Parts: sequence; C-alpha cells; structure tokens
Amino acid sequence: MAYAYLFKYIIIGDTDKRFQPVHDLTIGVEFGARMITIDGKQIKLQIWDTAGQESFRSITRSYYRGAAGALLVYDITRRDTFNHLTTWLEDARQHSNSNMVIMLIGNKSDLESRREVKKEEGEAFAREHGLVFMETSAKTATNVEEAFINTAKDIYEKIQEGVFDINNEANGIKIGPQHPTTNSTLSSSQGGHQAGGGCC
Amino acid sequence: MNFIRGVMGGQAPGPQPSGAETIQKLCDRVASSTLLEDRRDAVRALKSLSKKYRMEVGTQAMDHLINILQTDRSDSEILGYALDTLYNIICNDEEEEQDENAQKQSDDLGAQFTEKFIQDSEHITLLLTLLEEFDFHVRWPGVKLLTALLKNQGVQVQGIILVSPMGVSRLMDLLADSREVIRNDGLLLLQQLTKGNAAIQKIVAFENAFERLLDIITEEGSSDGGIVVEDCLLLLLNLLKNNSSNQNFFKEGSYIQRMKPWFEVGDDNSGWSAQKVTNLHLMLQLVRVMVSPVNSPGTTTSCQKCMYQCGLLQQLCTILMATGVPADILTETINTVSEVIRGSQVNQDYFASVNAPSNPPRPAIVVLLMSMVNERQPFVLRCAVLYCFQCFLYKNQKGQGEIVATLLPSTIDANSISAGQLLCGGLFSADSLSNWCAAVALAHALQDNLTQKEQLLRVQLATSLGKPPVSLLQQCTNILSQGDKIVRRGSKVQTRVGLLMLLCTWISNCPIAVTHFLHNQDNVPFLTAQISENLGEDERLVQGLCALLLGICIYYNDNSLENYTKEKLKQLIEKRIGKENFVEKLGFITKHELYSRAALKPQPVFPSPEQMLFDHEFTKLVKELEGQHRLCDGVITKAVHKSSEEDKKEEEVKKTLEQHDNIVTQYKELIREQDAQIQELKEQVASMSSQNEQMQTTITQQLSQIQQHKDQYNILKLKLGKENQTQSNSQGDGSQVNGLQTEELSQLREELEELRRQHTLLQTQVGEKDVLINTLRSSPQMAEGPSAGSDNTELLQELEVLKSQVQSQSSEISQLKAERQELLKRAEARSADTVPTSDSSSDASKMADLESRLTAQTSEKEKLEESRAQLEQQLDSAKSTVAILQTEKEKLQTEVQESKKEQDDLLMLLADQDQKIHSLKKRLKDLGQTVEDEDDLDARDQTSDDDDEDEDEG
Repeated sequence: MAYAYLFKYIIIGDTDKRFQPVHDLTIGVEFGARMITIDGKQIKLQIWDTAGQESFRSITRSYYRGAAGALLVYDITRRDTFNHLTTWLEDARQHSNSNMVIMLIGNKSDLESRREVKKEEGEAFAREHGLVFMETSAKTATNVEEAFINTAKDIYEKIQEGVFDINNEANGIKIGPQHPTTNSTLSSSQGGHQAGGGCC
Repeated sequence: MNFIRGVMGGQAPGPQPSGAETIQKLCDRVASSTLLEDRRDAVRALKSLSKKYRMEVGTQAMDHLINILQTDRSDSEILGYALDTLYNIICNDEEEEQDENAQKQSDDLGAQFTEKFIQDSEHITLLLTLLEEFDFHVRWPGVKLLTALLKNQGVQVQGIILVSPMGVSRLMDLLADSREVIRNDGLLLLQQLTKGNAAIQKIVAFENAFERLLDIITEEGSSDGGIVVEDCLLLLLNLLKNNSSNQNFFKEGSYIQRMKPWFEVGDDNSGWSAQKVTNLHLMLQLVRVMVSPVNSPGTTTSCQKCMYQCGLLQQLCTILMATGVPADILTETINTVSEVIRGSQVNQDYFASVNAPSNPPRPAIVVLLMSMVNERQPFVLRCAVLYCFQCFLYKNQKGQGEIVATLLPSTIDANSISAGQLLCGGLFSADSLSNWCAAVALAHALQDNLTQKEQLLRVQLATSLGKPPVSLLQQCTNILSQGDKIVRRGSKVQTRVGLLMLLCTWISNCPIAVTHFLHNQDNVPFLTAQISENLGEDERLVQGLCALLLGICIYYNDNSLENYTKEKLKQLIEKRIGKENFVEKLGFITKHELYSRAALKPQPVFPSPEQMLFDHEFTKLVKELEGQHRLCDGVITKAVHKSSEEDKKEEEVKKTLEQHDNIVTQYKELIREQDAQIQELKEQVASMSSQNEQMQTTITQQLSQIQQHKDQYNILKLKLGKENQTQSNSQGDGSQVNGLQTEELSQLREELEELRRQHTLLQTQVGEKDVLINTLRSSPQMAEGPSAGSDNTELLQELEVLKSQVQSQSSEISQLKAERQELLKRAEARSADTVPTSDSSSDASKMADLESRLTAQTSEKEKLEESRAQLEQQLDSAKSTVAILQTEKEKLQTEVQESKKEQDDLLMLLADQDQKIHSLKKRLKDLGQTVEDEDDLDARDQTSDDDDEDEDEG
C-alpha cells in the first residue's frame, strides 16, 4: 500500500499482557502494522511490542535507536508498573536518539474498579517529564488508535519542523515510495529516476 | 626461523630457542615495553607465529593481546595485529589440508580459546566497540574474529551481544560499509549471529535488514549475482525461518513483491552456472519459508494471497513450464508452487488453469503427472510432483471432483490424456514407485470427500479384449492378491502398501464402498490369510495394513451383506486370526520406523525410493482410527474386541446417539436460525436506534429552528407593532368614535324618549284642552262666565310655557343635529385613515426582504399578513358599524324631523285653539259674562295654575 511516511514505534513498559493483542509470547518482541491518516497523508506504522518484561529489558534496549516513537505503557491496576516508569524512561532517553517521541500510556482503563494509579498521577508524571499522556484500554480499544495517532502527529510535526533527518532511516522514519525527497528531486533533475527512501 | 631471529634482535647463535620460549619473550615485550613501536613489533611477531604455534600463542599471549586491545586503542596498526593474532588462534578452518584427527584437535583448540576469551563478557563488548573503529585494519579483523567466536560458541556469544546495548545495531551497520570486503564478511558474521536466536533475528529485522539485503541482492544482479547474493539469501532465510514476527514484518513491508523479479529467468538458456542454481534454490526456499505448512495458518494464508496478487505464483508456474531448467531447480520450483497453492482455493484454481506451452496445450497438472509416473524421471522430481498434486487437492473439493470426473464414464474424454488416465496407468504399471505414487495421489482425490469416494466406485476398467470390464476397486484388490505373480521393478511391498493405503482411505467412512469391497468373495479370505500367515519382516507392514482394512470393513459396516455383517466378520477374526493376534498385527503400522517420520510433515521426502512407504495424510487416518498411543485403543481395536451383545448395545447406543445427534442438530439448526434472527433483529435495532438518533437530532434541530423562528417572529411582531401603531391608533380612534357614537346615540335616544314623553304630555294636555274647550263651548249657554277672561290669561300663560318648551326642544334638536354632523365628519375622517398608508408598503418590502433571508419564515409572515387582514376586517366591520350608525342616525333625524313637524302641527293647533280661545273669551267679554270656570280649571291643573297665580300675584 502506498504511504507518505513510515514510522517505527516501540511499545515499552511493564505489562503482563501486551498492549496489542498478539499471539506469540515466547520471544521478546512481536510485530504489528497499521495505517493511519494525518494531515491527509497516509502514514504506515510499524509497531514492535517489546512485551516489556524485566527479563526482556536488555533486548528492548536494542530497539530504541531505530524507533521514531515509543509508547511507554503502565498498568493502572498495578502500582509497581507505574513505579518502574522512571527506569524505563531513563533507559529510553539513554539509548534512543534524542528526537524519539515518547508518549505515556496508562493502560487497562476499562478496569476502573481495580485502579491503583490515579489518572492525576499519570498526568503529573507526564508533565514532569515532558510527555504526552493518555489512558487507554487495549481490551476495549478505547483510545488505542488515538495513542498511535497522537504520537504520529508529534513525529509528523517534528518532520515538518525539520527536526528529524528523514533521509536517515536509523531514526525510524522512512519516506514512502511515491514521496519525493529533497534529495531525489535534485537527482531526478539530473536524470536519475530513483524513488526516494532507498538507502545509498 | 630467520625471521624470528631477526625479531629477537640478533641473538647469538646457539641452541635454537623453542617456540614457547620465543613466544614468552615476545609476550614479555608486549607487556612491559614502554615504546609503542616495540610493542607493535612484538605483536606483529606473535601474529606471524600464531598459525604455527597456535597452542602456545593462545595459551601465553591471549591476555596480553586483550590488554593491547584495551590500552592501545589509538594505534590502529597494533590493534589490527592483535586482532589478527587472536583470530588465528581462535579460528578453526584455517588449515585446510589436515587429516581428520588434526582437524578435531584444532576444533578443540578453537573452542578452548573461545571459552577463555568470552569468560569475561567485557571482552565481547570491547570487540563491539572496536568495530565502531572505521579503520580497515581494525574493523576487518574485528569482524572476522567475532565471526569465529560466534562459530565456536554461538549461544554464549549471542547472549552477550544481545544484552549489550546497541550490540546488534552496530553489527548491522557493517552492511552499510562501503568496503565490500567488510560488508561481505559482515554478512557472514550476521549469519552466525542470527542462527537459532529469534530475539536477535527480530532486532536485525528491526534494523532494516530486509531492505538492505534485498537492495544488495538487486545490486549484485539477483540470481546472476555471486556468492554475496547467496550469503544475503542465507541470512534472509535465518531471519525468516520459523519466525512468525519477522514473517509478518516481511509481508507487511511489501517485501514479497520484491521477490517476484528474482524468478524472471525466462527461457534464454544463457547457462545455468552453479552459483545461479544455488542462488535460485535459496530464493525458492525463501518463498517456501513464507508459506510453509508449519507456519501459523494466518501467515501462510496471507502470504499465499499476496504471492498470487503480486504475480509471484504466476512467475513460478512459468519456470515450471519452461524448458532447459535444471532438474533440481525444477524440482524445488514444483515444491515451492505446491506450498504456495496448498489449501488456498484461489491459488489452486489458478494452478488448475495453467497450461503447458505444448501443441495442443495440456494442463500443467497432466504434464506433471506424466513425470510422476515416468520411471526415467529423477526420484526427487517425482516426489515433488506428488507433493504438488497433494497440495492442489488439499482442502479442494472442486479439484478432487475434477480429477475423479476424468475417470467417470460420462465425462471421459478419449481424445486426450487425462489426469485420471495417468493415475490409473500408474496404478497398474510395472513400476512399483509409479504404483505407490498413483495410489497415494488417487487417495488424496478422495480425502474427506464422501461424494468422490462413491463416485469412484462407478469407474470401470477395460482389461483385455473379450473380458468384461472390471471395477477400479476390484482391479485394485485383484492386483493386491495377485501381486506376487506379477513381475515388477522395485519393491513389491511398496506397490501393496500403496494400494492398501488407497483402499483404506477409499472405504473408510463410506459404508457403500465397504459393501462393494466385501461383495467380492475373494477379498475377505485374502485379507484373513495375509494377516494370519507368519511372514517375514518385510511383510509385517502389509499385514498391519490388511488388518486395518479388515478393521475398517467392520467399523464402517452397515450390515447390508448377510455373509459379512459386523458380527460375522468378528467371528471370523476370532476363529481364523485371534483377537490378540489381530490387534498385534494392527500395531505393526504405527510401530514402523518410517511411520513417525511421515507423520511429521506433509511433504513426501524420502532418502531413497525404498523408503517411500507412508503418506502423511494416511498417517492422519491411522491416528484417527487407531490412536497415537498403544495405551488407548483405537476405534478399530475396540470394534474387534466387542462382543455381539456389546455390539448390539453399542448399536442401540449409537442409534440413540444418532437420535440425540439429530435432536442436537435440530436444535443447532434452531439456534442457528435464532442466531440469524437475533442478528437480524440486532441489526434492525441498530438501524432503528440510529434512525431514532437521527430523528432526535432532526427534532432538536427543528426545535432550535422553531425557537429561532419564534424569536424572529417576536422581533417581527415588535417591528410590526411599531409599524401598526399608526394603524392601531386610527383603529383606536375608530373605536373611540364608535364608543362615542353609541354613547351619544343612547343619549339621543333618551332625549328622543324624553321628547316623546313631553310630546305625549303635550298631547294629553292638548286633549285636556280640547275637553276644556268643549266644556267651554258648552258652558256659554249655561254660564257664560265672567271667569272667561281669567281663563284666557291662564291659557295664554300656558301657551307661553308651551312655546318656550317647544323652543327649547327645537334648540335641543338643532344641537343634536350639529352633534350628529360632527359625528359624521369624524366617521368620514376615520374611514379616510383606514386606507392603507405608504407605511404598509414599506412594511411589505421589508417583509419580502425577510422572506428572501429566511424562507422558513414565510408562514410567520403569512400569519402577520393574516393578522393584518384581520385588522383590516375589523376595520371594515368598524366601518360598517359606522354606516349602520349613520343610517340609524338618519332614521333618528327623520324621526326628529317628524316629531318636529308634529310639534309644528301641534303648535299650529295650539295657535288655532289659542285664537279660538281668544275669540271665545272676547265673545264672552263682549257678552259681559265672566268666565267662571277658571277655578275649575285651577283645581284641575294645579301646578301650572299655581305658577300662573304666583306670577299674577307678584
């Protein structure tokens, strides 16, 4: 499918159940993809769910560098997952490129009766660390799409501002096959007819 | 040695130092020398010794070398020597011309030194840091060293790299190195790194490995490329094999589409180099990895769909039908096509439509089957064709029907070779491999398909001239029983196993086929003979299969043949074979060494033609009928063990079960229906609620509109009110006028009444006077009284009063007239006012203006107009009342006129009478007689007389 941009996301944080419904729990990371629209542009999201268990944390580190966005997820029914956020955030900040957009997600908002972490606490944490915050329910799909879209919007804005080097795929951003880059427009005027986004 | 001596620095000739001694000295220099150059020379010397004295260098120098790596980071030359030396001692495959023993020793050394090196995981981390060094002399040996370490101790090294942050990412950067050597060795490193470690595989994929590898493959010329392409393909295989997450990513990333051009090899027999064959082979394997039957079903299905949509399957089929393709490529292509179409209806349908470019064109299936039953074709190719045929029929009832139909008398086409004909040919050929393949292929056309099992019973074969045709089923059993007599190439067991598997598949779950089979009197005796005989090892499998076939005859028996009811067959087993013996023979199938291997995966792969005995689908059937474990008896064992009473009970239970089943199915049907109804109702509810919502929104909208309109109406009303003020003023005037008129009218009426009263009073007075006159007339005769004079004055006085009264009345009347005139004027003025003024026209224009702005307001405007019309009506009515009043007034005027006339008449009369009275009084005076009657008159008319008297007295 044609897309204007491709963003790589990772999902991190302590969650016993994955943020997305996925099948294979044997290995640290599961892959999923979806398409969203921002500003009239099709954007493809590739999402790596790192299952966030402590034992996988070292594996997760390998994913930071190549991701454009990260959803830092905790479980509103489990205080300890909230308490671990700082460690996750440090990890993410240390190993990612500085432009990676991090969004804080309080998951399982459907289980209000078992809530251990108040929404205000999540908001406060997000404010303190300069993150966007949202409560979601992966089970009922409440706000999940929004979480993906909001993160993508942030990334998209950063692209518009020229913060991201979109020709460096290591940032977790790729230009779609039909999208002319500044470079390829130059080269195509010189007779080159290569589609943008290829690594050279 | 000269070189060493040189290194040692011109030592005096004497007893040559041993290698160990030299190495020790070098190590000391490496460790203690303060000069970089010295250390560098020493390390270089160690490097040159490291191959010959691998053991010594490894044991003595490793720590020093690692130390160099840590401390001399700034000098890339010394780093390069150190890494090279470490590589030499750790890598195993350096010396190629070694005997086996030495090789083993070398392997041990490599493992030993690797162990030592990775004892501290920091060393690997150090190595990873060094790989960031761009200098060729560091990076290249670093890559090679890490590769060697991974080769020797893969799991541990992988573990260390996995947990070091960015470890894998750094290694991925090697693929972007502009120096081909490093990139290519980086490929080898990644191959080792990704072996069997799914977590690393995923990170490598995350780091855009697919994109880069596919780019490299394209750059290198795809299948025409060299060993680099091969390495890329091997790495891709590592990344994708059994890794569903990466498979999903590969598919989602639209990389399947990029595989299609690989297979555009065309018909130009430009030569098939060994490398090209290897490359294509790996490319085909890569396709198969994505659609493997062992993948998660979702992945395989979506990849199959994608491969059809992007034309990859079509491309593969082109290779299939092309000429000059090497046999092993063709074989792998067939296997690949098999798995791309397996269980996918769209792809199977496409495959059925593929034709070979022959004249006349033949279906690809037919061409392939021809190879399958052709002895001269390679064994692997024939297996591949069988697999392809099986995959074509897998979950494909339509395809099964089409294959069976080519054998049916009604649809048979004698002019061309059909799949069915080829299969029958194979079934009865003299080649046991063809027999087996054809039997299994035919069995797959019947798999889970009762219709085709029954259809195939209709197939008749013409044997030899003059003999009646024989049914296919019969022919199979005939060959089975005569098998020993027919001369055959290959293994006799293979043919019989093939046929028995076909028969088992055919008659299982198909009571009609069982009856057909039992109908032949020879079959059961043959089977019992086979089972009961004490035969050699070779025949054990055949015995087991015969037992299975007999078991199926019992289990799926509908007791329609008197001689071969369930009961009778069981008795037969007991008598001829013995139950225990029977069960034991049955067990021979699953105990066979090749059975479990065939059960593993669908593809028929056999190391040699002799081992081609079991079919995967058949193992499934056995599992279904006999269970996997010896402990749990299968249905057949149970059926044989059961007594007749149990059997009857069983039968009853079965019947009731069937009844229950029926009931259950009925209920299921009901539930399904209700489900559908519920669904429908739900939908209705949903649509209703949505409609309701819509309605409510429209209602609220309309409400707000109405509110708006009301507001506007009110505003308009206000405006209109102002505009109408003039009108209403005039209206008010009208009503005032009306009110005044009515008031005045009543006043007038009252006055009139008064006047009438006075009139009557006057008339009565006149009457009295008449009477008086009459009496007076009469009185002159009797008493022409002297009172007549006074009487006359009194009358005169009275007349004076009457005159004044009449005068005041007439003045009143004139006043009324004036008032009336005024009223009339006013009324006229009012009617003039009610004529529409210019204000209303501007109002209309305003209204029109509003109309254009708010179309919805027209009603309101109309209302306003109506109200205006009403007002006008009121005005009209007011006018009419005015008119009525006018007429009334006129009437009154005439009445007043009349009364005036009457009064005039009366006045005339009075005047006459006065004259008469006067003349009479004169006469009386003349006569000299006083009028006496004056007192009488006084008494009769006291009040008026009193006044007169007072006047007289005063």
